[in-house]
Amino acid sequence: MFQYDFMQHAFIAGTIVAIMCGAIGVFVIARGLPFIAHTFSHIGFSGAAFALYLGIDPLNGMLLFTCASALAIGRLGIKMFRKDAVISVVLSIFLGIGLLFLSLSSKQSNAITSLLFGTVLGISPLDVEKLAILSAFVLSMLILGYKMLTFDSFDPVGAQAAGLPIRFISIGFLLLLSIATAEAVQIVGALLVFTLMTTPAAIAQRLTHSVSRMIFLSSLISVIGVWAGLVLAFYTNAPVSFFITAVEGTLYFASLGWINYRERSIRENTVTLDAT
Amino acid sequence: MGAGIKVDRLNVCLGGNRVLRDLSFTVNPGEFVGIIGPNGAGKTTLLRTLLGMVPVESGSISIQGDGKTSGSSMIIGYAPQSRQLDTETLLRAWDFVSFGLPHKFRPWLTKRDRKNVQEAMRVTDSERFAHKPIAKLSGGERQRLFIAQALVRNPQILLLDEPTSNLDPGAQENLASVIARINAEKKISVLFISHDVNLIAQYAHRILYITKGQYAIGTVKQVLQSNVLTRLYGAPVEVMHVGSKLIVSTSSNKPDSSICLHHDNGTQEVLANVSV
Repeated sequence: MFQYDFMQHAFIAGTIVAIMCGAIGVFVIARGLPFIAHTFSHIGFSGAAFALYLGIDPLNGMLLFTCASALAIGRLGIKMFRKDAVISVVLSIFLGIGLLFLSLSSKQSNAITSLLFGTVLGISPLDVEKLAILSAFVLSMLILGYKMLTFDSFDPVGAQAAGLPIRFISIGFLLLLSIATAEAVQIVGALLVFTLMTTPAAIAQRLTHSVSRMIFLSSLISVIGVWAGLVLAFYTNAPVSFFITAVEGTLYFASLGWINYRERSIRENTVTLDAT
Repeated sequence: MGAGIKVDRLNVCLGGNRVLRDLSFTVNPGEFVGIIGPNGAGKTTLLRTLLGMVPVESGSISIQGDGKTSGSSMIIGYAPQSRQLDTETLLRAWDFVSFGLPHKFRPWLTKRDRKNVQEAMRVTDSERFAHKPIAKLSGGERQRLFIAQALVRNPQILLLDEPTSNLDPGAQENLASVIARINAEKKISVLFISHDVNLIAQYAHRILYITKGQYAIGTVKQVLQSNVLTRLYGAPVEVMHVGSKLIVSTSSNKPDSSICLHHDNGTQEVLANVSV
């Protein structure tokens, strides 16, 4: 499997993006922003379609559209974009714009599939390099702003009371999220961005008690999903994105089952102790 | 040692309504001042104004610290009235308290940081549940953590906005005694908002009683008098002593025409400009 260059590139790119998505995902969940991430992925889709229409790199188009949207959302106030109606309108508008640009460009059918469901197996060394630089930037910012970001994400009222620059943190985080989403779209596609951005973090937040462990576990689960997806896709010819979502989904429901089992055991032990 | 506060003819407007009118009072270093008043009287607005979160229309606020710390967020620790906590996240109590540490651009905690967290948890009697998830703690236990988080920066003033609301009488009593102990042990100035006159009367050195546009400050004996409260509310109020408890109720007595505090030395102090 590793004798093929495309598999090596896929593993490197997939691992880098998985670690970054796992880390940022913990804050996405804590801040209640999974659907904002999903919205960014659709905005990224139209940005990539726009880039294809212009004949430039789709990643550049995605970054342009998602970063501009992050600044717009940050300026207008994030509360407005948490509303279901607003999210559904924005999602459909940008999907529509994406389709328009794709219909105007000559690379329609292949491009649609790639943008919606990912292109990790077709990733070039140059793309790997770009993803590595962007991921390093996102992770560095997360490390530098870790204390402020954790406070504001897990206890927003306390953070405001402590005098943290919450608006600056909010806009800064949206910008990082927009970059991370544009990267994740390259691996799993616009429609399946939840897979890397929120599922691993949703598992981790139920299994560990400290933020640093949540980040580690979330990144680990994300990497496991990507590696398993790549291996299974290589030997079966089914899409990578399908396997990544299947593995992450299975881990999520397994974690729910484990938590239920653990809580039932604790309750039963408590009842037994009370009886004795 | 705690810091002193001097508020001089403070006027604050919110949404076009004057919430605080010509409010003047001082808090001595290390003093425990209880703030009482009906809903909408401006108690929370007063604390937020002291923190610089609400603009002052006119008047002045000066905080006289010991000069060791700078910036209001470092001198003042604030525990707001309500918190938005995700009950799905199993964040442990220790991490929650550590959020309140001064924010530097390094993600790890130093020995000194850990010592400060331990000390804040010790003084609030919350060490025994330091490693439990915050979502699994009782209301009283969570309130201790909120206070510990406000204390972790070693502030000179502690502002507590209704920490005993939604607690049963036993838990209210426990928490109030913890706050009184912090005040006595750390010599921190405390401003404590509560609706429970008896709780405040038990621990506060002085009381600031605020109603819409009027206020009175003095010892419990000075403020909790029928004529003072009647004048503050603009309607007959009776203060009765039943055993060791104070009962404040409306009565049909006509209010007196004066509003002043009677000092032990026989002098009188005009507390508010009253126009009924």
